[in-house]
Amino acid sequence: MAKKTKQIAIYGKGGIGKSTTTSNISAALAEAGYKVMQFGCDPKADSTNTLRGGDYIPTVLDLLHANSSVDAHDAIFKGFGGIYCVEAGGPQPGVGCAGRGIISAVQLLKQQDIFEELDLDFVIFDVLGDVVCGGFAVPVREGIAEHVFTISSSDFMAIYAANNLFRGIQTYSNKGGALLGGVIANSINTDFHHEIIDDFVGRTATQVVEYVPRSVTVTQAELSGRTTIEAAPKSEQASIYRRLATRIAEHTQSKVPTPLGQQELREWSASWADRLIEAENQRERAIQVA
Amino acid sequence: MTLIDHASIKPAAAPAKTNSIEQIRYGCAIGAQQTVAAIPRAIPITHCGPGCTDKQFMNLSFYNGFQGGGYGGGAVIPSTNASEREVIFGGGERLDELIDAALKILDADLFVVLTGCISDLVGDDIGGVVSPYQKRGVPIVYAETGGFRGNNFTGHELVTRAIIDQHVGPYEGTRDADLVNVWSLLPYHNTFWRGDLTEIKRVLEGVGLRVNILFGPESKGISEWKAIPKAAFNIVLGPWLGVATARHLEAKYGQPFLHVPALPIGANATTAFLRQVLAFAGRKRRSARAEAFIAEEEARYYKYLEDFSDFYAEYWWGLPAKFAVVGDATYNLALTNFLVNQLGLIPGKQIITDNPPEEFRAGIVEHYRHIADDVSTDVEFEEDSYTIHQKLRATDFGHKAPIIFGTTWERDLAKELKGAIVEVGFPTSYEVVLSRSYVGYRGALTLLEKIYTTTVGASA
Repeated sequence: MAKKTKQIAIYGKGGIGKSTTTSNISAALAEAGYKVMQFGCDPKADSTNTLRGGDYIPTVLDLLHANSSVDAHDAIFKGFGGIYCVEAGGPQPGVGCAGRGIISAVQLLKQQDIFEELDLDFVIFDVLGDVVCGGFAVPVREGIAEHVFTISSSDFMAIYAANNLFRGIQTYSNKGGALLGGVIANSINTDFHHEIIDDFVGRTATQVVEYVPRSVTVTQAELSGRTTIEAAPKSEQASIYRRLATRIAEHTQSKVPTPLGQQELREWSASWADRLIEAENQRERAIQVA
Repeated sequence: MTLIDHASIKPAAAPAKTNSIEQIRYGCAIGAQQTVAAIPRAIPITHCGPGCTDKQFMNLSFYNGFQGGGYGGGAVIPSTNASEREVIFGGGERLDELIDAALKILDADLFVVLTGCISDLVGDDIGGVVSPYQKRGVPIVYAETGGFRGNNFTGHELVTRAIIDQHVGPYEGTRDADLVNVWSLLPYHNTFWRGDLTEIKRVLEGVGLRVNILFGPESKGISEWKAIPKAAFNIVLGPWLGVATARHLEAKYGQPFLHVPALPIGANATTAFLRQVLAFAGRKRRSARAEAFIAEEEARYYKYLEDFSDFYAEYWWGLPAKFAVVGDATYNLALTNFLVNQLGLIPGKQIITDNPPEEFRAGIVEHYRHIADDVSTDVEFEEDSYTIHQKLRATDFGHKAPIIFGTTWERDLAKELKGAIVEVGFPTSYEVVLSRSYVGYRGALTLLEKIYTTTVGASA
């Protein structure tokens, strides 16, 4: 009997480190012996770059644009640790409908039973920031991913994006959609960052899966076109990514989050802003006294 | 003795507004492809999913009087047949390819690109595709007519405006005091538009005007459209359609307009209409030619009416007394006016089905309130046939069978009410209509023939 493929979607605001984190999770899972596919759902089509030495691969939509019928195998490329890399791709900026593109790309692979055929343990969808339209909600909807994780820093804009995603999950939660596994807290270096993100997950009835600090090791690895797992396997950062990957692999129970309302979110961020300013003032006074 | 439960036999109360429409009474905005097809030697190019173009044509033209495709409509219309590919990557390139190909094999004085829902939702830059052709001097314009923008009446005004703004263009020259533009019935949607526009043009020419009728067999086509700014004024003949266009022309060319809400049927209304137009044209002194024309038309009309009066007086026992009209605002008001004022019939129920803009509704209601010196009636706005039929069932038509002026959708209902049906609007699927007209002097006589042939024929 074929094993059940665990399908995971990772969302987050643009530039928050989504593709970096996703690629490191994929790399860590592959290293642990799992069969993994990473599926980039962003028209920029750069999700899997660090799994393939910095190379771009032809996208599903590139192939659909050029051909009337497409063999999905032509859109699958092997990367680090045998990870199957796929990029949905999209139209040129400002033209057409990228959301529909994501839908078509995902459907193409599903229609051709690729996940079953490759006998995958994990499919990880790396999805562009905000859930702006139905297309970007595809991995959340029925029959695609079962668990959604969101990457967020303690930055308010990132938290807004996460909260929007929670609303999307809530919308589809009673229609068989994916549920929330938790928040991957990225660029968390100070106690203050910890407190903000902990407060947010507390209020929205979810959890932090792992705190990932900002690290120059990651930047160096990226510049060499590799993941941290590949470029600096013995680093502290690599061990954090491995721990994160293990938690995701072991994760079974996802939940419906309780997103904050628009006004609630504004008030919440304003109260944290006040505390930030107060802390900053205290620090300055301390310096003056010294 | 059985007790009768009166509550159970009362006519059903008017149903609540539904959120659905069964048995449609208009097309969607891209149905304005028929507006283009109504202009001699103009050809629509549609950028939409497969099926839209054919469906609009079959609805508005075929199963509505079997009007045919014409020079550039029906099966001629080139369409991108946009598919998933055009959704994802945008359909601009495909449209460009289609326009290029259409120019090679189709001969037209004007091409009009109409977009459907796909293109309008995805946000294709149609102006960007069409403007290079315009710069090359190709006679082509575009209108964004995605279905969600409204019905084919909306589409008609969008297309009309596109042609005026993108093809007719600015005008600084002089005006021709004898030339008028007419904005009236919606081509194809109104089953009798060809005959009616012909009659409207005929009577206006009869009193000494020259007419840009713009649509149909009597139009000279694009040269007429180019002459729009030269006209002394615009005539909007109908309760609302065309007013937006006339306002636009007023702003663009400083061209005044005369709004006559009731399309005239019969000598009384037609003569009044012509005198109103002549007064607006500033012809204070009655021209001998205009008066001679009116006198001649009236003489002929009343001669036939005199002959008809024998029948009308003697056959009273077999003729309907109360009527209902279900149709677009233009025909609805025109017919109600004629039936009340000329035939002395009693209005039972009037329902307007073309969803007129809110700003016109109160004014339209006022016309019905003062339909005659001694008759006041009401009018309702409703688009869903289920609701319309429920309202007709609940109407008290008295002890005689009613006559219903409606559409094919009212056929079964007319049988149920044991009444007569005259199909006068979209869809008219049980009439073959060529040049027939129901307006003006001549059309009114045809309408009388139709009404009373239907009535006496029912007893055979």
